[in-house]
Amino acid sequence: MAERIDGVRKLFTSKSARVDTNRGDLYYQQLFDTCRARLDALREQPAVNRLDFDSLLTDEGQDRREFMKWVSAVTAMLMLPPMFTPLVAEAAELMNRLPVVWLELQDCAGNSEALLRSDGPKIDEIVLDIISLEFHESLMAPSGHQAEKQLEDAMEHFKGNYLLFVEGSIPVGAGRDWCTIGASGETFLDHLNRVAENAAAVVAVGACATFGGIPAAAPNPTGAVGVMDVVKGKPVINIPACPANPANMVGVVLHYALTGQVPELDSLLRPKFAFGYRIHDNCERRAHFDAGEYVEEWGDEGAKNNFCLYKMGCKGPMTFNNCSIVRYNEGVNWPIGVGRGCIGCSEPDFWDKYAYERPMANANIKAPTGGVEKTVDQFGLGLLTAAGIGIGIHAVASAVAGKREEGGEG
Amino acid sequence: MKSGRKQVKRMTGAMRIIHWANAISMVAAVITGLYIGHPYYQTLIADGAVDKYVMAWNRWGHFIVAIIFDVTSIVVAYLYFFSRFEKPYKKLIPNGKNVTEFGEVLLNLVTLNRRKKFDSTHSDSFNTVYFAIFHLLLVWMLFTGLQLYVHGLESGESSIGAWWPAMLHLVTDWTIPITGGSLMDVRISHHVTMWLIVTWVAFHIYYQIWRTIFWKEGDIAIVFGGSKFAKEQES
Ligand code: SF4
Ligand code: SF4
Repeated sequence: MAERIDGVRKLFTSKSARVDTNRGDLYYQQLFDTCRARLDALREQPAVNRLDFDSLLTDEGQDRREFMKWVSAVTAMLMLPPMFTPLVAEAAELMNRLPVVWLELQDCAGNSEALLRSDGPKIDEIVLDIISLEFHESLMAPSGHQAEKQLEDAMEHFKGNYLLFVEGSIPVGAGRDWCTIGASGETFLDHLNRVAENAAAVVAVGACATFGGIPAAAPNPTGAVGVMDVVKGKPVINIPACPANPANMVGVVLHYALTGQVPELDSLLRPKFAFGYRIHDNCERRAHFDAGEYVEEWGDEGAKNNFCLYKMGCKGPMTFNNCSIVRYNEGVNWPIGVGRGCIGCSEPDFWDKYAYERPMANANIKAPTGGVEKTVDQFGLGLLTAAGIGIGIHAVASAVAGKREEGGEG
Repeated sequence: MKSGRKQVKRMTGAMRIIHWANAISMVAAVITGLYIGHPYYQTLIADGAVDKYVMAWNRWGHFIVAIIFDVTSIVVAYLYFFSRFEKPYKKLIPNGKNVTEFGEVLLNLVTLNRRKKFDSTHSDSFNTVYFAIFHLLLVWMLFTGLQLYVHGLESGESSIGAWWPAMLHLVTDWTIPITGGSLMDVRISHHVTMWLIVTWVAFHIYYQIWRTIFWKEGDIAIVFGGSKFAKEQES
């Protein structure tokens, strides 16, 4: 209850979910000047690694034209007007000034995988290659005490400047003491808080780090929560989804490099440039939704014709994400594109409330009263039946009583 | 007219129009809402999508009746306090008189009209409270429904201007944390409330008919002709 009250308070004090894509020339001119100054300052800073963006680009067989195409796409994704294109390009090149520390807590490493795995290095990846990943348990060569030392060094050296990426949820309940990190047996909770202390901002990636994800699904044995429930007094940016889309990670990092600030966030701390829209609004199957043409069964005629997946349990109408625009795997495809409904992986409590892969009306949804699993419709029909029985008893009793009265009178 | 009874005006023309507009809207909203939640009838699967908009028509109908509902709710809310005819809020104040009356009407119902110690000429506090619950349910439907709706106006623009989605966000976003934190909770709550309203309606219709039969004052006529009959006060 306290959480909900807190949520309501936050809601009234946070900006509305509205996405504003045109703020007027004055605003953009001012932003442009800020970005210019920021990039100049960044250029002054020594690079934290020796990687050079241009040569990396050539090494990977990408040409400048390809890169500029990517830059204009990213500029549009960040909802900036075209005049920002050269600045975004510059920000990408200056990425080796940005130190990043990456923590993995209760997770499956899916977000790291999403970032790394692909058929061939594309520009997103090159950009992420060049940020100076100072610490990442799964990717770094050192281990044990050496790894710990590296983290301490990075925290000391880049105090107040590094971006902290967090993947995985944090157990704060019963699981608090089971999950420890390093030789000293520091709990996830203490570890995160300590590393976040000196970060410039904290970026929670994936469903688990943002809203607890699968570890927090009922009955949540470890008492898992998301980063924003733990880290206080630091800007937190949530990039939910399972896994988080690398395009959105790049977007946030670029935005930070460009402006020195976190992007505009919605009430769930998700950047609006990525989470301002519903899947449903940009879905290629939307015409079929409006037409009432649905896949009724896997592999049926409707499925062959790419009909809407709503009746197969698609949660697109209440899920906010840009998968329908930027897609996954280098923009090749996305779940609905392969004939599978959205399971709402970028929403809070997605495993309990969205992910049932059944049509919504057939789903066993937890009753709002908690505990009992019961569908809403069964509940409703039960209530109506109870009322009907009550009415029936009263009506019969009334009829009998009425007769008696009349009999008495007559 | 039976002798010894006088005709009492109970509903103005406007009130009756609101009543029937609500009744028809509700039936339409329930039918279209059930379709939206679970599209139970199908289109001919092989046709092109161009000339049929089955879901779109259902949503269209649902939203139109919802808007009618919303507007009448505002009118009803106004009439609660400022009607020159009857001011229902006076019966809602939990003072001794109203509480006693509430109890008496309830006793009348459960004793099957064996005991009737209240004046049934005008709306009693039991009925007024019952209607107040209905209006609260409707207001809740209004907020949750508009919250589910506003996200379709994705970019903050709408055909009537940016103020409309902005206002809807401002006025309805609080329903998300209240219901449990996600849009799905809002949706479930909207759906559950539909069932509560349907149940409310079932009792409402029953009770009005029951009163008509047992009180013999022609209560059912209120909603058609605007008036009922009351026994002349024995002097
Ligand atoms: S497949 Fe899902 S997201 Fe796409 S139109 Fe249908 S319901 Fe909407
Ligand atoms: S389509 Fe839905 S379930 Fe799939 S990745 Fe996007 S938000 Fe997650």
